[in-house]
Amino acid sequence: MIVVEELHKSFKRPGARSFRLPFGIGKPASSVADERVIAVNSVSFTADDGRITGLLGPNGAGKSTTLRMLATLIRPERGSARVDGHDVTQDVLAVRQHLGFMPHNAGIYPRLSARENIHYYARLCGLDKRRAEQRVGQLIEQLDMGKFADRRATGFSQGQKTKVALARALAHQPQTIMLDEPTNGLDVMATRGLREIIRQLASDGHCIVFSSHIMQEVAALCDHIAIISDGCIAMQDSLQGILQRTGEEDLEDAFVKATRELSTETDR
Amino acid sequence: MSLFIVMIKEIVDNLRDRQTVFYALLFGPILLPLLLGGSLVASFKQLSIDFDEVTTLSVQHAQRAPRLMEFLHSQNIDVIDAPEDVQNSVRRGDVLAVLEIPEDFAEQLRQGRPAPLTLHVNSADKESSKAARRVQAILSVYERTLNNLRLQHRGIDPTIFDSLNLVENDVSSDGSNGQLLASILPFLFIMSMVMGGFYLAIDTTAGERERQSLEPLLSLPLKRSAVVFGKYGATLCFVTLSCLLTAISIYTLFHLFPVELMGGQIRFDGRTLVRAFLLASPLLPFISALLITVSAVTRSTKEAQTYLGLMMMFPMAPFFLLQFLSVKSTTLTMPIPMLSQYQLLESAVLGDSIPLMHIALSATGTLAAAGLLLMLASRLYQREGLLD
Ligand SMILES: Nc1ncnc2c1ncn2[C@@H]1O[C@H](COP(=O)(O)OP(=O)(O)OP(=O)(O)O)[C@@H](O)[C@H]1O
Ligand SMILES: [Mg+2]
Repeated sequence: MIVVEELHKSFKRPGARSFRLPFGIGKPASSVADERVIAVNSVSFTADDGRITGLLGPNGAGKSTTLRMLATLIRPERGSARVDGHDVTQDVLAVRQHLGFMPHNAGIYPRLSARENIHYYARLCGLDKRRAEQRVGQLIEQLDMGKFADRRATGFSQGQKTKVALARALAHQPQTIMLDEPTNGLDVMATRGLREIIRQLASDGHCIVFSSHIMQEVAALCDHIAIISDGCIAMQDSLQGILQRTGEEDLEDAFVKATRELSTETDR
Repeated sequence: MSLFIVMIKEIVDNLRDRQTVFYALLFGPILLPLLLGGSLVASFKQLSIDFDEVTTLSVQHAQRAPRLMEFLHSQNIDVIDAPEDVQNSVRRGDVLAVLEIPEDFAEQLRQGRPAPLTLHVNSADKESSKAARRVQAILSVYERTLNNLRLQHRGIDPTIFDSLNLVENDVSSDGSNGQLLASILPFLFIMSMVMGGFYLAIDTTAGERERQSLEPLLSLPLKRSAVVFGKYGATLCFVTLSCLLTAISIYTLFHLFPVELMGGQIRFDGRTLVRAFLLASPLLPFISALLITVSAVTRSTKEAQTYLGLMMMFPMAPFFLLQFLSVKSTTLTMPIPMLSQYQLLESAVLGDSIPLMHIALSATGTLAAAGLLLMLASRLYQREGLLD
């Protein structure tokens, strides 16, 4: 279970002067806001156990940044977030123990086999050798990776890489699972397979957070949807709830309406 | 615990990388010593003079100095007749050197005046110079004998002229190379350490960022320091292994081809190498830390290679510095990493005794620098910018 309250995060603008030249050479930044990119302005949402929560937003909306803060990779500037009751800024190791995070890029080790990749993570999560091997075998079966499990990862297809990355994130049987655009680059069959796995995990009682910019995907899979735009949550509800509240027929129109409402609100 | 898991994974992973293995286990420890040591062995075979070996010397008009010819014979030199055109045959290299005995040699000698002798030599030719040096050395012994005879003849004890008993240290041949020679060992050691950890350090830090495998790794329930120290441990293993192999291959090389370096003053025997390795060992953690820290700053393997490539100047700097400036081993230079090891290892190779104070200072200074670098590396791994 994840509870997020008014998270805020900004970054130094790449290329901005980190030090001022002496004698006033170079134009001074006009304001602090000019020097920083606000990636996440104010994000609040709740993701319950046994439910699939979709973080839906366009490119650059702040999805990845939010998930990174939840995964304790970067520290929020303001606001708070708890994963299974552990605060992401204070209880860092406990949060990581409860969380399986699959980032945007698979990032698997090309010189290790699929099995070794997963085994490495299982061991790092504190499983002993025997239990790690057991768990890896179980995951290989669960994700149907038998065919390529013992091949080195060099040259794996996108789908195979995603499966390895997902298995790695699941290695320590985390209660909460976060996936950043997991269906990126997958074909129809692979996407369907992945959805099946995600549904299964949710029905096993896991809390699943899933980011995407694809409406159909979110509509097809998620029980709960949080629409994020420009670093703010525009609306969050079930699919039905969102359609009702916006009075639209499909998610795409609802999405446009919700984000437009948000921007007029902030303009005021 | 997770530290060791990271370390073992990085070692296994990198052992599967051809480039890493080539530089760590083949280039530094085997190819480089073979290249440098091999050319050394070869050049010293050429330069050294073996006085017991029978050689020949062309002498023009040998009959004018029968006593001298006898003496030459007693010194293992076979006298042969000189060719017709002395100058040109020496220039062409048909004969290495020709000793010419002028007509008035015997006459001058008899009258107690300096007797003329001409040695034709081609100084552009190494072999010719070497032959000439040998002849000069033998002739100077002969001259001394003659002097003594002359003095005794006049009733003077010849030893009163021996106010100095000078033992020649021939700096012209291999003497000046003594320092160069001695510094080859620290050079090879430090080079092999750098080469040994080079690609592994890059792959485990900048490579990991480039592959984008750092993000999932850092979201696992383990401390970031475990990640840093695991990678550091793997680098240290490679660095140590590479340096050990280098010591072994230098030992093997000089064991198979024993050469007399600087009259036996410079030795690369087992004892020397063990001593040198121990003296250099504080560099193992230092160089590993340097490699990890520098590549932790970089974003890509390419950038890391550029930075570390520039850093390769470091092992060479003391090498050249010490060649041209004579920096004395003092308590001031000892705490400086690399420089102190150069000086200590030179002393070890030359068989000099080393003050314990110097060893302690060198080890302390180097280990302290390694500690600082490691702290910096783990600070670098706490940065958020690491994930960009
Ligand atoms: N490390 C960083 N430095 C500077 N700006 C950043 C950094 N990370 C993110 N940003 C900026 O913050 C904003 C949000 O980025 P984020 O990656 O969270 O978007 P996203 O919703 O994941 O988009 P996408 O669908 O394209 O993955 C973007 O404008 C991005 O340029
Ligand atoms: Mg993203």
